[in-house]
Amino acid sequence: MTTHAKTPVDPAPSVPVGGAVGRPVDRRDGHAKVTGAARFSAEHHYPDLTYATMVHATIARGTITAIDTAAAVAVPGVVAVLTHLNAPRIRPVRKGNIVRDLGPSVSGTEVNYLNTDQVFWDGQPIAVVVAQTSVAANEAAPLVTVTYREQQARVDFAAEQHNATPAKGDLTFAGTKKKGDAEAALATAQVSVDLRYTTPGLQHNTIEPHATIAVWSGDHLTVHDTTQSTDASHKYLAWRFGVPAAQVRVRAEFVGGAFGGKFAVWPGTVIAAMAAKAVGRPVRLALSRKAVSRAAGGRTASTNRIALGATRDGRLTALIQDSITHVGSVGGLLEATSSPARHLYGAKNMLTRQNLVEMDLLPNTWLRAPGEAIGSFVLESAMDELAYELAMDPIDLRMRNEPATDPTSGKKFSQRMLREAFEAGAERFGWADRNPSPRSMRDGEWLVGMGAATAYHPVLRLVADVKVRLSNDGTALVQCGFHEMGMAAATVQAQIAADALGIAYEKVRVEYGDSDLPPGPMAGNSNQTATVATSVLAACAELTRKVTALARKTGTTGQEPAATLRAAHTPFLEASVGSTSRLGSLRSQGRFLATFLKDQRWSKAARGAQFCEVRVNADTGELRISRWLGMFDVGHIINPKTAASQLRGSIVMGIGMAMSEQTLVDPRNGRTMSAGLDSYYLPVHADIPPIDVAWLNEPDKSMPLGIIGLGEVGMTGVAAAIANAVYHATGRRIRDLPISLDKTL
Amino acid sequence: MDFLRPSTWDEALAAKAAHPDAVPIAGGTDVMVELNFDRRRPPALLDLTRVAPLTEWGTDGDLLRVGAGVSYRRIIEELGSRLPGLAMASRTVGSPQIRNRGTVGGNLGSASPAGDAHPPLLAAGALVELASVRGVRRVPVDGFFRGPKRSVLEPDELIAGFLVRPGGAQQFAKVGTRNAMVIAVCSFALSLSLETRSVGTGIGSAAPTPLRATEAEEFLSRELDWEARGPVPPSVAQRFGELVAAAASPIDDVRGTAAYRSHALSVLARRTLAWAWKGFREVGP
Ligand SMILES: Cc1cc2nc3c(=O)[nH]c(=O)nc-3n(C[C@H](O)[C@H](O)[C@H](O)COP(=O)(O)OP(=O)(O)OC[C@H]3O[C@@H](n4cnc5c(N)ncnc54)[C@H](O)[C@@H]3O)c2cc1C
Repeated sequence: MTTHAKTPVDPAPSVPVGGAVGRPVDRRDGHAKVTGAARFSAEHHYPDLTYATMVHATIARGTITAIDTAAAVAVPGVVAVLTHLNAPRIRPVRKGNIVRDLGPSVSGTEVNYLNTDQVFWDGQPIAVVVAQTSVAANEAAPLVTVTYREQQARVDFAAEQHNATPAKGDLTFAGTKKKGDAEAALATAQVSVDLRYTTPGLQHNTIEPHATIAVWSGDHLTVHDTTQSTDASHKYLAWRFGVPAAQVRVRAEFVGGAFGGKFAVWPGTVIAAMAAKAVGRPVRLALSRKAVSRAAGGRTASTNRIALGATRDGRLTALIQDSITHVGSVGGLLEATSSPARHLYGAKNMLTRQNLVEMDLLPNTWLRAPGEAIGSFVLESAMDELAYELAMDPIDLRMRNEPATDPTSGKKFSQRMLREAFEAGAERFGWADRNPSPRSMRDGEWLVGMGAATAYHPVLRLVADVKVRLSNDGTALVQCGFHEMGMAAATVQAQIAADALGIAYEKVRVEYGDSDLPPGPMAGNSNQTATVATSVLAACAELTRKVTALARKTGTTGQEPAATLRAAHTPFLEASVGSTSRLGSLRSQGRFLATFLKDQRWSKAARGAQFCEVRVNADTGELRISRWLGMFDVGHIINPKTAASQLRGSIVMGIGMAMSEQTLVDPRNGRTMSAGLDSYYLPVHADIPPIDVAWLNEPDKSMPLGIIGLGEVGMTGVAAAIANAVYHATGRRIRDLPISLDKTL
Repeated sequence: MDFLRPSTWDEALAAKAAHPDAVPIAGGTDVMVELNFDRRRPPALLDLTRVAPLTEWGTDGDLLRVGAGVSYRRIIEELGSRLPGLAMASRTVGSPQIRNRGTVGGNLGSASPAGDAHPPLLAAGALVELASVRGVRRVPVDGFFRGPKRSVLEPDELIAGFLVRPGGAQQFAKVGTRNAMVIAVCSFALSLSLETRSVGTGIGSAAPTPLRATEAEEFLSRELDWEARGPVPPSVAQRFGELVAAAASPIDDVRGTAAYRSHALSVLARRTLAWAWKGFREVGP
């Protein structure tokens, strides 16, 4: 046996008691992840484990008329091949009410997989092979032969756009918003631009592809799943399989990135549980990257008209945005592309409309900053174009249109420091050194340009149940079923709890990622940190009251909490927010509505100023980003180290969206051609410049500890800043992403 | 699937003769991708990694002979000064992991129009050495490629290595949709020999096969001021670029348009010419 040399582990940073919040504490899961100790969903061991591989439809719309599994069944090691002819019947997807109960509505699609002969997109799972090994399952899956009756399918976004209809919207986002008469104002504006921008579909490419292990024990189901919504998905699975929610446990201690792609329940999860039921053994279904692109949604493509009218001195009189995005015929998300246009600039007359076209494609879903990633490209590119029409500095134009209240709702801003972000950013980046004329800056054969854009992402707060236990050995345990997808969620909540309880950071343990814990929020819309913090602070406050009372009784006032507990011979004290009893759930919904309504009094958002410098080769059109600064207005920063990583990572993702990422759909048959990292180009290290991120660190007084979620805002404005810099460098406007080589020449 | 593991070159050739449908595997950076994606299920794999001579290089008369199994990383580290063009191309291949495993023999075996080793081999006028139990033949590399992913390699043959005359000035340039880990949108290699006063070219990713721009080569070798090594007149560089672009027959695809490829090729041709000639003028032959 080899002995491993003992590498010195970084001593835990000595965090002073009461000083954890605001410190660049290392991620708690970091060591487990870099040493491989962290167990991801597909890595749990069960003695009787079987391995499943899905078979995907190869037509976009139609009916399965025959399905021959004989050759697949004959592969040695195959345990079962399930199709719509022999799979267990389960309940159909129920349409849920998002306010009452997120569970049933969390489905990625409305299809009852393997319970129907209907095919709704190319890639829809229509069978699953379960085998003793993953090799046998992978070998057998392609041997299933399927005969279809094909129907005409709508798969070409460009060709289907004329069928788009106005979108309805929902509680949080209206399909159409109007103020004044924007078209008339545009027609009479002194200066105007009327432009069309397009963005391609984008795929999820988390480092950990979607995976599930499903284990039935009687009518109890345990699912290890790559999910960012354990609570909703355990309720969803309970409904689909007709068992009480208490008998379904969804676990996701470690999730290797999610970005919205692991919010909805996708086919793999349902089919794994179905297959485990059918074969009476635990089933592991780990999707290949190709399978992810065929069976888990991504971002919609979009076409946008945006028109801006202004006075000669740069005051917006008209703002119109008309967007077309798509959904699948069996589900999909209204991507709120007009969100930035509705809340950023004080235009007198506004008209923003969302239009949807239904297509026979895999339903789209959330992908980091859904709505704002596209919307900020459209709006912030158009603002730059208008600035050049006006011969005005693009930042100056933005500042001239800083509204006093929310331009759409008229509500007060809980906090708005965009002006300060641009001022501090411009200074730090050296914006003033730029010669504003396009094609005026050069470094040898490289044309140099600088661009800026506003970053914007709204704030959402949900509810979390939390239980905190303080023990007489001085430790505390925080329990909440929130999610750790690599953002340092547990680290940050430990920092918050430590300071709230007045104990050392290292003494706080956090349990998360399990539906058996007090339910946490889904991790999305950048809500999780503030949502969980709200309840952690409340529970810690209650616990502190209990300790104080006990201290008075035992005469230990002023001593550390553990001393009080020991003096009172109390092993531990607990405090909770929320409960899962019937009454408790009703109360949680009440709390959600109360928070929601309270938050609705304000217009709240994370904002920022993005700056970049690009180099475009004058001869070949190659685009290199040479410098980046993001200056953010994102409230009070709990952990500068992990906050910087979130912002930096988002900017990298924005660079991918700007430069190279695109889902390629074959317009003849609706098949994804970019089904893998060999054909879907993510940015690589060599594409990423040094990224400077900074923040104003001004707390939002309407939020717990002044926290504003920052997981997505960093991605917004990135593509526009790059496109604007490319214009500055080359004099060419690029209105269709990605900015490929041939477009810059 | 059978897995054949010869440990000598003779065993390898015998195995290939006995199993002509066995797929040779060197670094596996193309083969394993094909197997993983289930693009093919060969009856057998012929593992060449234990055949020592394939990983050796040395001289053969006044030629340099490089075994088919020498990795990109070793080309960069060990042959950088002798085969600068190929070393430059090797540096642009994939990632460090791919350069550790991938080989020039594998690149030739795949015969992709986008293979990055091909343009410098074409420009250097390399010979590809093919062997079978029937014997050995040396094929000029510009006669090696027959179509996209097709070559003159016979079913019972293996690629033993390649031979080039070292020396001269060599350059390589590649344009891609991102900065690394990328298939070329187009690439170009140039080689100039003062000794023979000859010009060699190689074009990648802009035709069904990698190819030479023979007219451009002839034009440039006539026009260059070999004697005094005077500056290249802009009109000559321009014409050279045009002739290189004219030799290609690019298509539109997701990585770039045909028009872009033609444009970029002429830019790369002029650029590599400027670099190579500058090298001569500064350091001499
Ligand atoms: C992530 C990634 C990035 C890549 N980037 C690039 C890139 O930038 N540029 C580029 O050009 N390529 C790239 N490739 C492709 C690949 O790395 C190269 O083609 C490489 O040269 C293949 O060499 P290998 O030794 O791995 O070949 P293998 O995969 O082992 O074999 C390739 C082919 O050659 C045949 N073969 C191998 N050796 C012999 C022999 N001695 N005789 C006969 N036939 C033989 C095999 O049967 C097979 O058909 C990339 C691949 C990956 C996976």
